[in-house]
Amino acid sequence: MASKKKAAKTDKMSGKKRVYYKKVVYDGGEFEVGDDVYVKRREDANSDDEIPELEECRVCFKAGKAVMVECDDCLGGFHLKCLKPPLKVVPEGDWICGFCEARKLGREVQLPRPPPGKKLARTLRDKLLSSDLWAAHIESIWKEADDSYWFRGQWYTIPEETSAGRQPHNLRRELYQTNDFADIEMESIIRHCYVMNPKEYAKAHDEGDDIFMCEYEYDIQWHSFKRLADIDNGDEEGDDSDIDEDWKSSKDAESDTDEDVEYEEEKVKNLQSRASSAHELAANSRKGKFFGLQKIGTKRIPEHVRCHKQTELEKAKAALVLAKLPKSLPCRNKEMEEISAFVKGAICDNQCLGRCLYIHGVPGTGKTMSVLAVMRNLKSEVDAGSIRPYCFVDVNGLKLASPENIYRVIYEALTGHRVSWKKALHLLNERFSEGKRNGKEDDRPCILLIDELDLLVTRNQSVLYNILDWPTKPHSKLIVIGIANTMDLPEKLLPRISSRIDAFEKQAIEFASRKVAAISGDARRALEICRRAAEIADYHIKKLSSNHNPAPEGKGLVGMSAVEAAIHEMFQAPHIQVMRSCSKLSKIFLAAMVYELYKTGMAETSFEKLAMTVSCICTSNAEAFPGWDILLKVGCMLGESRIILCEPGARHSLQKLQLNFPSDDVSFALKDSKEIPWLAKYL
Amino acid sequence: MGIENLAEKAQILIRSRLCSPNFIFKPLSDSSDSNYSKLKFIISSSIMEACNNSILLLGPRGSGKVAVLELVLSDLLEEYPDTITVIRLNGLLHSEDNSALKEIARQLCMEHHLLFSKMASFDDNSQFMIAMLRECGLAHKTVIFTLDEFDLFAQGKQRLLYSLLDAMQTVTSQAVVVGVSCRLDADQLLEKRVRSRFSHRKLLFLPPSKEDVQRLLEHILSLPMDSSLACDYAAEFNEKLQSILADKRFKEIISNYLNSNSTTNHLLRFLFIAISNMELKSGFLSLENFKAALSSIQRHPKQECIKDCSILELYILVCMKRLEVREQNSYNFSSVMKEYKSVHDSFPTSDYYAQNVCLRAFEHLLQRELICFTDNRGHSQSIEFRQVKLVVSYAELQEGLKSYRSCPAILLKLIDR
Repeated sequence: MASKKKAAKTDKMSGKKRVYYKKVVYDGGEFEVGDDVYVKRREDANSDDEIPELEECRVCFKAGKAVMVECDDCLGGFHLKCLKPPLKVVPEGDWICGFCEARKLGREVQLPRPPPGKKLARTLRDKLLSSDLWAAHIESIWKEADDSYWFRGQWYTIPEETSAGRQPHNLRRELYQTNDFADIEMESIIRHCYVMNPKEYAKAHDEGDDIFMCEYEYDIQWHSFKRLADIDNGDEEGDDSDIDEDWKSSKDAESDTDEDVEYEEEKVKNLQSRASSAHELAANSRKGKFFGLQKIGTKRIPEHVRCHKQTELEKAKAALVLAKLPKSLPCRNKEMEEISAFVKGAICDNQCLGRCLYIHGVPGTGKTMSVLAVMRNLKSEVDAGSIRPYCFVDVNGLKLASPENIYRVIYEALTGHRVSWKKALHLLNERFSEGKRNGKEDDRPCILLIDELDLLVTRNQSVLYNILDWPTKPHSKLIVIGIANTMDLPEKLLPRISSRIDAFEKQAIEFASRKVAAISGDARRALEICRRAAEIADYHIKKLSSNHNPAPEGKGLVGMSAVEAAIHEMFQAPHIQVMRSCSKLSKIFLAAMVYELYKTGMAETSFEKLAMTVSCICTSNAEAFPGWDILLKVGCMLGESRIILCEPGARHSLQKLQLNFPSDDVSFALKDSKEIPWLAKYL
Repeated sequence: MGIENLAEKAQILIRSRLCSPNFIFKPLSDSSDSNYSKLKFIISSSIMEACNNSILLLGPRGSGKVAVLELVLSDLLEEYPDTITVIRLNGLLHSEDNSALKEIARQLCMEHHLLFSKMASFDDNSQFMIAMLRECGLAHKTVIFTLDEFDLFAQGKQRLLYSLLDAMQTVTSQAVVVGVSCRLDADQLLEKRVRSRFSHRKLLFLPPSKEDVQRLLEHILSLPMDSSLACDYAAEFNEKLQSILADKRFKEIISNYLNSNSTTNHLLRFLFIAISNMELKSGFLSLENFKAALSSIQRHPKQECIKDCSILELYILVCMKRLEVREQNSYNFSSVMKEYKSVHDSFPTSDYYAQNVCLRAFEHLLQRELICFTDNRGHSQSIEFRQVKLVVSYAELQEGLKSYRSCPAILLKLIDR
């Protein structure tokens, strides 16, 4: 066996320690960290059996080179020509073989028997899915002191082995990733398999028999499922992952792929011991390390998320969700180019002078999104090696408990240590103004993105001063990008700061509040209107189809009425409707207010005067006057819903009242009330 | 079983109905344009389609916003067991950002059986919330935040709303924010950047129409014809009830009552008193019960207050009134005393008291809030020199004097002039 082994790299370390590899050639196969492999289940497993590389056709029982199509139900392979009627090409989408189709219809099916003397060979895939084999994800590979090769694998499991069992929506080739790890000898690896995420899996056509789909993680302790995170948000990175990838890419750039990284044994041990004591710690303290989150997970994957065929409307709604960041930002190209030119100019300069950029505009016009898109583009350039690596810190002014906390957050993002904000300020000052660097890492230019910059304004403005002051220092290598929606930030500032802003006023990009939608300049609003319109249309169609059982198909379009309803709902204050439906006395009360307003010309009136007016109105129209105290209650009710503005009711007759809406609105709402037709004369 | 026993059972049944919002709002929620089905559709579609949403429920107090919301939530909890986490906040309790986030973290921990630390800082809690939202999204769990008294969350910098709504801008999170407010302009209170992140779904809750009230009355008051109560008793009870409901006088009572406030909650309060007035001996509801309920609920506290005053207190009130009629807008105890003296000089009666007795009566009036100080400043000054004003109005005072049992005729004369 030993002669077969051939490590990619010679052992440089002393014999006692483990040597880690990124890639190993073992037993004729190349295994890399991150690969998925079949693993033997038992030592005595009948591995001597010949494992067929190619699957056999279910009809003619020959492997052959001819094109085969796979049934999506029983996973059996069929030669195109063996089918009845034979197919010319592999069909698009799902395909189910004649046997399964017949079985579904409830008929007895006679599967073709293999010719006598020939056993139906089982492929590795068959064995895995019938739990005769295991599959694992290689986390790391190392050589032990005794020259044996080992790897740390993360197990995959098949639906049958989970607590929920196989559910109807599980696909045949579905696997779950577990959080169970094991150290396995390389010996037990059989060969590669390929576990893909649903997107890749949907695209995969003829990658062979060993492909599997994995969308969920299975927690073996809590028996719960969770979606794998990196599938959905592959395009939006948190700030921490930025730093990680920086690190990786920089390593990659300066060394070849077969690099051996030596880990400290203790580190691993630490990690494990911490994990074991996790449940004793509170979940919501300790920033960045929340304990017990692994407990959250569904016991059973709900069916509706898997086999849900979306209607056109639902697809539209999903596409309009605000969270779906568009890949490209139409009509923001110019601004994005300017930003990226600015950032590139700042970090590509050899001495890297600090700079500031202030972006402002109406909310929802895509300020933050443009900057983040630029940063994404830049990162891909860093990965490609055309730009020097930098660090990126993203802070949101509204998410800080107090403006001073920004120092702490920045320092933590840069170094990973948590200190008080005063200490952090001191350390940051050292770093940026005095140019003191205590490591190679610190030497990189740093881009600081501050969202909602206007929230950092304090009484003496020291926070803003410091942050805008650092870039002007010769060795700071700091680039500040501020985002806010107040145009007048420079005016809000004291003179000493606004002189500093002058320096970058020229470069400041005017984010004109473009009319993204005709109604408002806010792109989020426009999207929300469309989404709401789709929702309304969907609601009506679903109601219709539930009332009359034969669903009217094809009517799935968002009509003008739905859009109008959505706009109406969003922009029209509901006060007219409330005024129309409120109680009789409230109507009289409001009418009296309008009457009083016309009579005196004063917007404000007192409750005493108003009550007199109401009693006059009531007596002249043969209506019983309810009494002052009830009238007061009515007034307070109206005040609660802010149809009128009023003082607390304890002031009684001294209470001051004022209409909160134009008197025309009240007249419009009450003019044709059927209940009290005489009200119109007072309006 | 005696009729009294049956009547008591019926009374208990109807009272328990009046106290359970589920029973009241269930029949109103069938039709497709009821708020119940709209709200349910919005929330359940965001559960099914794994998206984020935010809704405002607006309407006057007592119109059943929270009741409908709770009804929807309980239905959804049944429909999608353990995929929903409901976090309930109330603006009166948690309007401060720090405590609100702490409460969110606490409820999230409770719901998922995690250990909660009281010591965690604002940052910790907000990061925890975001991390939890993400994890819950990955596990196909929807988090529903209900913010009662939503307008109170819109004070200050609105950090909570911002971080909540901003966390919902990612694909992984799966959350619904439901705001409940009686302020119609609640969404206008939001800051620009918060409003931009808000989805602007609005549902308006209106008081029930006349037909709905009629349906509601029948639905609540009629007894079930199944075996829980004796069948013939229930039949007789319902028959009597029908005749009451059809009675014109009853309709007048109801419309008189609902004139001031036509919300559902207001109606229920009335019915509760009427049911409690039901005579157990006869065992059936009568029109008298409703009449008694109306008179016991429509009170005039200020006028009743005047009825309880002593003669001296009435004198003081009348004197203050006379001062105000003479457009003397700022006066205090001393000037009232002067007026009292002058009144007494021109119309001498036996009701003349020393100044310290009058001061005592004056303090009494202050406590009953029939008069009040004009400003809150000057607490250091003694009562005699602080400016005061009459809280009851002229008409109320007159009304009160007329209904006073033994009002001196002189007072009535004085107030008329």
